[in-house]
Amino acid sequence: MSLRTRLALLLRSLTHRRQLESDINDEIRFHIEARTADLATQGHSPHEAARQARLEFGATESHKDGIRAALGLRWLDELVADLRYSTRLLRKSPGFTAIAVSSLALAIGANTAIFSVANEMLYARLAVPRPRELRLVAAVSPDPSVIHGNWGSNSTINGQEHHDSIAYPIYRQLAENNRSGLDLFAFKDIGGVNVTASNQAQSASAQLVSGNFYKDMQITPQLGRPILPSDDAVPGQGTVALISDAFWHRTFGGSPSVLGRTLNVDGHLITIIGVNPPSFTGAQAVQISPALFMPLSMVRELVSGFRDDLLTGTDIWWVNIAVRMPPGASQPTAEAALTNTFQSSVRASITPKAGEHIPTLILEDGSRGLSYIWTQLQLGKPIHILLALSGLVLLLACANIANLMLARASVRHREMSVRLALGASRGRILRQVLTESLLLSALGGLFGLLIGYLGRNALPRLMHTSFDGNDINVPFNWLIFAFAAGVTLLTGLLFGILPGWRATREDPNRGLKETAISASRRRSAWSGKGIVAFQIALSTLLVASSALFLRTLVNLNHINPGFNPDNLLTFNLNAPEKQYPGAGAAALFQRLEDAIAGAPGVSGVAVLTPSFLTGGTWNGDFDIEGQAPIQFKKDDPGQFPNLMNVGRTFFSVAEIPIIRGRAFGPQDTATSPSVAVVNQSLARKFFPNSDPIGRRFKDDEDKNHVKHFRTIIGICADTLYNSVREPVGPIHFDLYVDQKDFRGATLMVRSTRPPDALTADIRQVVRRIDPDLPMTSIRTQRQQIDANLQQERLFAALTAGFGLLALLLASVGVYGIMAYTVTQRTNEIGIRLALGAQRSQVRSMVLREAAWLALAGVAAGLAITLALVRLVKSMLYGLQPRDPASLAGAALLLLTIALLAGWIPAARASRVEPIEALRHE
Amino acid sequence: MPKQIDLLQGTLEMLILKAVSLGPLHGYGVLGRIVQISGDQLIIQQGSLYPALYRLEAAGALATEWAPSENNRRAKFYTLTDLGRRQLTHETDRWREMSRIIAAILRLTAPQAPLQPHPAQEPRA
Repeated sequence: MSLRTRLALLLRSLTHRRQLESDINDEIRFHIEARTADLATQGHSPHEAARQARLEFGATESHKDGIRAALGLRWLDELVADLRYSTRLLRKSPGFTAIAVSSLALAIGANTAIFSVANEMLYARLAVPRPRELRLVAAVSPDPSVIHGNWGSNSTINGQEHHDSIAYPIYRQLAENNRSGLDLFAFKDIGGVNVTASNQAQSASAQLVSGNFYKDMQITPQLGRPILPSDDAVPGQGTVALISDAFWHRTFGGSPSVLGRTLNVDGHLITIIGVNPPSFTGAQAVQISPALFMPLSMVRELVSGFRDDLLTGTDIWWVNIAVRMPPGASQPTAEAALTNTFQSSVRASITPKAGEHIPTLILEDGSRGLSYIWTQLQLGKPIHILLALSGLVLLLACANIANLMLARASVRHREMSVRLALGASRGRILRQVLTESLLLSALGGLFGLLIGYLGRNALPRLMHTSFDGNDINVPFNWLIFAFAAGVTLLTGLLFGILPGWRATREDPNRGLKETAISASRRRSAWSGKGIVAFQIALSTLLVASSALFLRTLVNLNHINPGFNPDNLLTFNLNAPEKQYPGAGAAALFQRLEDAIAGAPGVSGVAVLTPSFLTGGTWNGDFDIEGQAPIQFKKDDPGQFPNLMNVGRTFFSVAEIPIIRGRAFGPQDTATSPSVAVVNQSLARKFFPNSDPIGRRFKDDEDKNHVKHFRTIIGICADTLYNSVREPVGPIHFDLYVDQKDFRGATLMVRSTRPPDALTADIRQVVRRIDPDLPMTSIRTQRQQIDANLQQERLFAALTAGFGLLALLLASVGVYGIMAYTVTQRTNEIGIRLALGAQRSQVRSMVLREAAWLALAGVAAGLAITLALVRLVKSMLYGLQPRDPASLAGAALLLLTIALLAGWIPAARASRVEPIEALRHE
Repeated sequence: MPKQIDLLQGTLEMLILKAVSLGPLHGYGVLGRIVQISGDQLIIQQGSLYPALYRLEAAGALATEWAPSENNRRAKFYTLTDLGRRQLTHETDRWREMSRIIAAILRLTAPQAPLQPHPAQEPRA
């Protein structure tokens, strides 16, 4: 009760401070007046009585202070006074304040943003109960294995082939017959499907899941019911779907009446039975959820283009399998039991060829989703490099704060001595210094919070392409913010308190008498110089790395793609098997080509797939007539030429020159003999001593396991293929109209009209042909190239920002330490000048000191850079990691900046008047 | 005038509680009552009374109220709370104990022979 009344009283004193003060005054006045009256009755004269009463009462102000202390208000009063004093000091040196606060804010903000994103990308787990129990089943075997066809991802780890997917019939046998006691469940991301809902066609991502998926993931829909085993029991009959929370809000405005509505998915009517919880993202990825979840047995209806039936065949391995391992269950036992069933099931359905291995099954961490391995592979390194660089910036900001606080403390040494001499207690002075450091850090932290908060969502947006429509929301990570803020706060406190502590410990007389040549000051100057050299070294590293990334971006921007990327609008379309069976898809695209070509302002339309610079790669067998077929070698996947399916107008619309022979013409149709155009690289590599025109080659088998000949009719100039970073290589271009499994492609429209207006017109054209056909990934070819260089641009921008900040901080550091040294040596400089030294000698003396400092820092920085730079080798383009121009440029830039920063104090030193200087102390 | 003595350190609060326990008082009244009871023998620095009063108020031992004084001036009156009453009893007991011990120590006159843990030494042969 005591604490509560005390707090209540303190609170009341705080909120009614004025009232309280006037009450205290009233009470004291009453006392003195009453005493005066009493004394007067004892015979004192009124004047004498009043004097006596005041005398007896004692020092009023001191007693009032005692009252405030009794109420716990004095502490607060002092804090307010400290804060006011600190604010005044900080306002008096706006340059110091601005640099300290902004460097803190940038360091804290950048680190919070980058670490939040990294944490989300690399460490976040699926939003399901106890995600750590989830395991993914992978098939592992030495090369070659019995797995021939694979829709999923496979990689080679430690010489072992590693597949993340299993053939469906084998999965069913495994789920039903294994003796591990575990309940296997399955899922598959099938990418985009065409969805028409509320009369609007759009593309939505879909995940197919087994009937026990929701039960095993332990997810209850926020609305409706989950997918049940009965939904997945009969192929083609489970026409139900759960939708993601984002899709629910985007398409249905979050209306509860969504249950029971039907969607047109690739021409199939699907009933919505539920809405997933907002945080649930499926089993594939942690950041992005598919829009639709449907039963696995609907795969025939939604996925086409494979040479084997996905539900009954064992040729294509495609299902991802997961399992929940209860705590305490033995993983080796489970793996052995699963492998046992799996291998007998494989033997029963596949006859291995000579030398082929049957895989074993292993269980891997599934808590971060299936795509985690990919994320780690693709983004792991860049993110870690970014983390390291931003960590360096944090370190730099700390060094800067340390340096500034040290310099400041030495300037205020005399002030502290004066205050000590006037009777201030040591604790009181330290508290003042502490308040000042805290105020500075708090300001920095506040702005840092703002930068971090905004940056955490801006960063992933920079990493992803805008037209993909994937919005990643990174939760603000308070822990990381607290860490970054805490580190800088601690540095500020440490370097604020230490000199203050040292200054208050010694005899104030010494501080007052002390002159420039005192030993203790020299020492603190040395520690200051060490910090500045360290700053320069860090800055060299940051500037050099930003130079490397900037040059990489410049090199990539200057690459000629081999086609004309200007005034090209591109978008993707997919023809669902149900509405456009067989050759219907190609016919649809021909209609689209003709219709769009008639739109106003369009000078040309072409079909291509995969589209240029999207990262997509198609290749297949390339058996040249009269030569032995190329043997597939694992260690050289580039031995097969890439291919592109294109329309007849492709070369003229893309403006790719035909070197020899001819381009496709009206005579090349679905029924005429198949033809192909090859590029110069292919001609050089595969026909080094002969003319390729007129030669024939066979590519992949069709559904009936038959290979067909294609005749080469022309050679075109080289172009880039899937990425700006990949060097040009062999490509053959085939007509899409004679592809039997053609389902969709990119349309490329050349026009000088503004992209938005053009898109609106084309949308009308497409809607007239089929209102259920969504246009996706609408972008200009330039945007596509920019997207291709997104990571490089992000790196160049961020590291350039870091580099600039580093330069600024380094110059501040050099300036600060040199200005301090000059002030300290004013006396000495005065003597030198009086003894006949030239002013230019004094100036170069100071500059020389700055130069040595900078040289030491740059040398150390270059050494660190050279040692670390091979880490970013794979991220550079067109230059060596030890790029002399970048490194020399960075070194030169830092030396110049250091000399410039040293120039001002040097000039000041040379202007010292000997008389003034000698009188100075 | 009888000889005056300074107040012992730490006893002011106890005296205030005792004075207020006899009836509500304003600050000057507290002073008057203490001086009166002591027969003008205690010197109290008048101003230092107030920090002590506020401290007791903050601790919940005293309650306050603004009311007209005997000569109809506005004055702040202090009354003892239950907590204050308990504190007074506690401090009074402690004080009695303390003064009993101290008095006992001071009553002790110098012993005739020094206290020895062992019987007196035997005279040497």
